[in-house]
Amino acid sequence: MTNALLQGLLLGGYYALLAAGLSFLFGVMRIINLAHGSLAVVAAFALWLLADRYGLDPFLMLPVVMVPMAFLGWLLYRLVFARSLRGGALTPILASFGLATVVDNALFQGFGADTRSLAPYIGDLAYESWALPGDIFVGQLAVLVFATSLAVLGGLQLMLSATTLGRRIRAAAEDADAAGLVGVDTHRIYGIATAISLATVTLAGLAMALRATFDPYAGPSQLIFAFEAVVIGGAGSLWGTLAGGVILGIAQSVGAHINPQGFLLAGHGVFLAILVFRVYGGPALATRWRNLKGAKA
Amino acid sequence: MQEANATHAVDSTGEGPSRREFIRAAGAAGLALALPGGSLWAQGADPKNTLRIGFISPRTGPLASFGETDPHVLTLVRKALASGLSSGGRQYAVQIIDRDTQSDPSRASQLAKSLINEEKVDLMLAISTPEVVNPVSDACEAAGVPCLSSVMPWEAWYFGRGAKPGAPSPYKWSFHFSFGVGSFVRAYTAQWNLIPTNRKVGVLYPNDADGNAIRANLAPELAKAGFTIVDPGPYENGTTDYTAQIARFKAEKCEIFNTFPIPPDFATFWRQAAQQGYTKTVKIAQLAKTGLFPSTMEALGNLGFNLAGGAYWHKHFPYTSPLTGLSGVALADGYEAASGKQWTQQLGATMALLDAGFAALKTTADPKNKAGLAKTLGTLNTDTMAGKVDFTKGPVPNVAVTPIIGAQWVKAKPGAKHKLDFVITSNADDAKVPVGAKLISYS
Repeated sequence: MTNALLQGLLLGGYYALLAAGLSFLFGVMRIINLAHGSLAVVAAFALWLLADRYGLDPFLMLPVVMVPMAFLGWLLYRLVFARSLRGGALTPILASFGLATVVDNALFQGFGADTRSLAPYIGDLAYESWALPGDIFVGQLAVLVFATSLAVLGGLQLMLSATTLGRRIRAAAEDADAAGLVGVDTHRIYGIATAISLATVTLAGLAMALRATFDPYAGPSQLIFAFEAVVIGGAGSLWGTLAGGVILGIAQSVGAHINPQGFLLAGHGVFLAILVFRVYGGPALATRWRNLKGAKA
Repeated sequence: MQEANATHAVDSTGEGPSRREFIRAAGAAGLALALPGGSLWAQGADPKNTLRIGFISPRTGPLASFGETDPHVLTLVRKALASGLSSGGRQYAVQIIDRDTQSDPSRASQLAKSLINEEKVDLMLAISTPEVVNPVSDACEAAGVPCLSSVMPWEAWYFGRGAKPGAPSPYKWSFHFSFGVGSFVRAYTAQWNLIPTNRKVGVLYPNDADGNAIRANLAPELAKAGFTIVDPGPYENGTTDYTAQIARFKAEKCEIFNTFPIPPDFATFWRQAAQQGYTKTVKIAQLAKTGLFPSTMEALGNLGFNLAGGAYWHKHFPYTSPLTGLSGVALADGYEAASGKQWTQQLGATMALLDAGFAALKTTADPKNKAGLAKTLGTLNTDTMAGKVDFTKGPVPNVAVTPIIGAQWVKAKPGAKHKLDFVITSNADDAKVPVGAKLISYS
């Protein structure tokens, strides 16, 4: 059981890293970017290309890929989100869904159907582990991913609360019109926020490609877990996203410990339970329950 | 200088006539192009002289690695049939209309219906996984079009679509040749007796059509053959953490490991198993469903060496394709030269389906007679790229069983073009296939 909890916690770190960019973007612009998972796969392919063709270390190449990814984010805002936001709240979701399909199939055209992984390019790190007392093994990569997600979410939080850019982002998120009145260029701020989101997507893509495999159609299945982590943790809250990822990871791991089929079931179950609780709220549910009992009596 | 002058002269003096000439030339060229084109079209439009064959496989989407080699095989077959096919004393033009399911079962069904209703195919061919074969077979069965398929366990095709054990076959139009649970039992028992182990088998079977069929049918047979099965129970595809299962396999000291997962799940599982120290105790790791193609194995890095797999075709199968005359090695080498990629076992399987399909068209009395063609398929006994396909002996009607051969992914020799080599380690299911190497212990 201790092992299940520990592995679940580390798995949660991965989910939180995957969800960081999604959560940040939602917090700032109220956009759910359904292309998030597919863009992580784009980053993974970029890193893979550099490693496979030129033998370059994926960790060292991280900044090399992160900068164009951030630029891609800025383009994404200018070309897709800025336009679709004018059409109401639902349009950006549909636009990003369409984008995901385009990205997946473009990757397929370019790279074919083969399954890839970055793990072969980092030696044995993908499966090295530390042995703890009680026959518990902790994967070194899993710990690294967990630490990265702490750093990313902590860094974003720090940026939001302590820098001028962060203040502007918060202002734009709070009330775009009012922020515009006091001289904040919300258009620019949104562009920067999308760029930051895609920079974190690069890290998520690397983590995904190191711990598992990826292919052009791997994006959507990653998106589900990221989305659930965001919702469990409370949409738009960064530390909440970490908590959400960890809750999801532990629920799955403990679920699988009880029954192997419980892995996804427990994760989705916790997600739904928290969603229902959020929508109807604790007090409202309590009142309903009382009314129900009152009606019976 | 002279040249320049000459061009200039043509430019300035020849403008008027050249335009007229151009129009005349264009007209002639158009006519020349139109004539053979027209006659081809006329031939195509005469349905009596053309055999139309539908070919449905997954080329894109999650199952794309199955369909990746199909264009190459289809090109070879089209070339071989360029001058048509003679059957029943008549010469027919052949048109193969290939379609991609995009790995979507409902699209597979739609494609089959449109090939039947709009393209009026005489024979349907479908290949690779239940997600393609079952919906296409069902559509053909409903419309009364002969259908031949391959590469999915025959039990999941025959019983999975509603046939009952012991009852007469409910199918009149659809026919399937492929491996089955029996093929796996023979291959695995042969393979697992090659190295001494404690005969304890840890199995990781998912909760999907294949996994459940294997759990219900294969596991008891393996137990009968003297292996102890340790099954932690079904898990869902897409699981990202296997702590519970790995702990169980370690506790039970399973020296043999067997699994039927989707490829991405296996990579996650196997790395985690390495992390938790389980892989160091495994002597035979036998994969099915994943481990079919070299790219998935390469993605595992060092952990991919010495994993054992099964093969429904291998380039060293000692058969030639009657349709194209190619040997296994020639087919594999031709693909590697044309694509720059490593050969896969799907090459031979797709060729075998086309071999068998055209053998039926050739031997039937009238290939345009659908009922007659279906009858021919039901008693088809022919050679293919992958060996004999014999519908007369099947365990059930409409089905012919083909072998699974034990194989292993080993590190390629230094200087080789690819990172891994796929070698044949046991041949219990087809003794004609030459064993190429000794099974090596995983750890």
